[in-house]
Amino acid sequence: MQTCNVAIINRFGLHARAAAKVVRLASQFRCSVSLVFNGRRASARSMLAVMMLAASMGSVVRLETSGPDEAAAMTAMVNLIGKGFGEQR
Amino acid sequence: MSFILHGIGVSEGIAIGRAQLVSHATLEVAHYTVPADDVVSEVERLTQAIRAVQKELESLHGAMTSGDAPAEFGAFLDVHWMILTDPTLSEIPKRMIAEQHCNAEWALTQQMGVLVEQFDAIEDPYLRERRADVVQVVERVLKVLLGKPSGVRPAHAEEQTILVAHDLSPADVIQFKSHHFAAFLTDLGGVTSHTAIVARSLNVPAVVATHNARTLIRDNELLIVDGAKNVVIVSPDRSVLAEYRLKQGEFELERKKLKRLRTTRPTTLDGLEIELFANIELPEDIEQALENGATGVGLFRSEFLFLNRQGLPSEDEQFEVYRRVATGMEGHPVTIRTFDLGADKHKEGLDGLSRVAPNPALGLRAVRFCLAEPRLFLTQLRAILRASHYGDINILVPMLVSAAEIDQTLAMITRAKNTLHEQGVPFDAGIKVGGMIEIPAAVLAIGAFTRRLDFLSIGTNDLIQYTLAVDRADDAVSHLYDPLHPAVLRLISMAITTANKANVPIAVCGEMAGELRLTRLLLGMGLRHFSMHPAHLLTIKQRVLTSEVAMTRPLVAGCSRATIPTNFPRCWKSSTVDFAGRGGKLPLRRFDDQLAGARDSGIGVTE
Repeated sequence: MQTCNVAIINRFGLHARAAAKVVRLASQFRCSVSLVFNGRRASARSMLAVMMLAASMGSVVRLETSGPDEAAAMTAMVNLIGKGFGEQR
Repeated sequence: MSFILHGIGVSEGIAIGRAQLVSHATLEVAHYTVPADDVVSEVERLTQAIRAVQKELESLHGAMTSGDAPAEFGAFLDVHWMILTDPTLSEIPKRMIAEQHCNAEWALTQQMGVLVEQFDAIEDPYLRERRADVVQVVERVLKVLLGKPSGVRPAHAEEQTILVAHDLSPADVIQFKSHHFAAFLTDLGGVTSHTAIVARSLNVPAVVATHNARTLIRDNELLIVDGAKNVVIVSPDRSVLAEYRLKQGEFELERKKLKRLRTTRPTTLDGLEIELFANIELPEDIEQALENGATGVGLFRSEFLFLNRQGLPSEDEQFEVYRRVATGMEGHPVTIRTFDLGADKHKEGLDGLSRVAPNPALGLRAVRFCLAEPRLFLTQLRAILRASHYGDINILVPMLVSAAEIDQTLAMITRAKNTLHEQGVPFDAGIKVGGMIEIPAAVLAIGAFTRRLDFLSIGTNDLIQYTLAVDRADDAVSHLYDPLHPAVLRLISMAITTANKANVPIAVCGEMAGELRLTRLLLGMGLRHFSMHPAHLLTIKQRVLTSEVAMTRPLVAGCSRATIPTNFPRCWKSSTVDFAGRGGKLPLRRFDDQLAGARDSGIGVTE
């Protein structure tokens, strides 16, 4: 299992469109991808669970990947969140 | 009886027409018991309904990519598709049907209630608002379950129809796009809601957050929607109606007049030629830029090529994009800003990424990042240089702070030129290189810039942020973000004056360039090059055409001498307005009126 803490840097936090990007990306991998924030765990493949984490700008979320392609999944997820979901800031 | 509703006007303009109400499925859900034998088919009914909505969303998505809906709409539809297909939404209702033998509509509404409750507990107001997406998705499924098609009847071509809804989902709004509604009204929503975005893209007036419009307005009632004044007048009497018909005509006339300015050269009343360029993010934006009469691109934010993708764009890929913009602008100049990326953001930098920069705005960003990643920087410079063979291209470097950094950057450009030269690849050897002025230090040491660079461009957004130490994205301090702070004005004025003296062209490409109330101030400071969002080009042009630079200069001199924000407006002796209670936006408008008034009355106002 791989874990990594990443900060949410985009202005609106893990809002709907950002969450959609997380779900779409996580669905491309075979391993399980979870986000842990504020004592809650969400499968990165569940749109509702990711949205309801309510991670706003500045919060640090723990990413966990576990399975065959966990390293690649981690790189891609960290890349997405680290770039602020490709939003203009 | 006539009455008035207030809301938030999210798209300007006036519409007069008949109301068409859109119904609200969640209010009509009944609760009944399903016979044990039918439980399996009841679960199947829910599955089928979800699948039907899924197909509906997919076909809307398909129809949209070929149409003219704003790009954001695809993203909205995606969000709804994902909520719909999330097992969290459907698994529990299916279990409820199986265990409690209740009907599908009821089970789904119960689960919606549970989810909405969880969203309601979220502190962040923006994230909390997303519960609306859940409700909208459930509503669509309910409409299928209840056998009610979600469509509305198209508006009559001969009669103006105004859509009145509790809330509109992106899917609704896309369907309504082709229906030619004269205006949109919703109970919920805000400035960034789907309704707002589509209304603006359609140039149709809209008022949202009216709270009770859907319950108070009856079908087919006559309405006046005034998007600028934030009001809806229901069943207006004859005199009000006549007045609004007149206003509506004037508004349309004004809009048409602006359009006619497209090819007019922006020249001030005293004959000064002004350049009005467009800021773009993607190659597709040049269409809007040209439509609004831009005679160049003053800022192409190239980092947008980087976003929304895995990996880095290759040199050839970048070259194609830059060439497309250069040729698309039909010989007009195109200024490409090199990547303005934040802290370490590329795939090899995994270690760097997990390190959260304590203060990203002051960290390894923009040119700092490019100089730290020479391979990435050289790739981009080579791509820009290669494209310069096909049009009039300039290079603009963001975030420069010192002479050493400028020299280092120029050396990189020379290196890129040398490698192309060796390979015999054509490029514009005389390509102009400019620097962004967006750090106070750059203004105070501007000599280092004017001596080394061909042109300058003031990025006011960052300049204000760094000067006032205010993060604009932080709501807690955003009230301190003040483009009219004397320190900001003095820095801008200083930069323009020095650059003009040194004969180095200088532009403003930040948001201030597109703000109507600041146009005369910037002209008075000596600014001749403006670059802004294409949507502002024509209104700014109109202001330039009616301005006399000589008249604004004394005002500028006065406000540059002011020391603190509250003292700032005292520099106008003729001021009859009490500025003691300065705050919010009001004084800014008054300020501009002062400038306008001074010109109109022909009185120069000096300190």
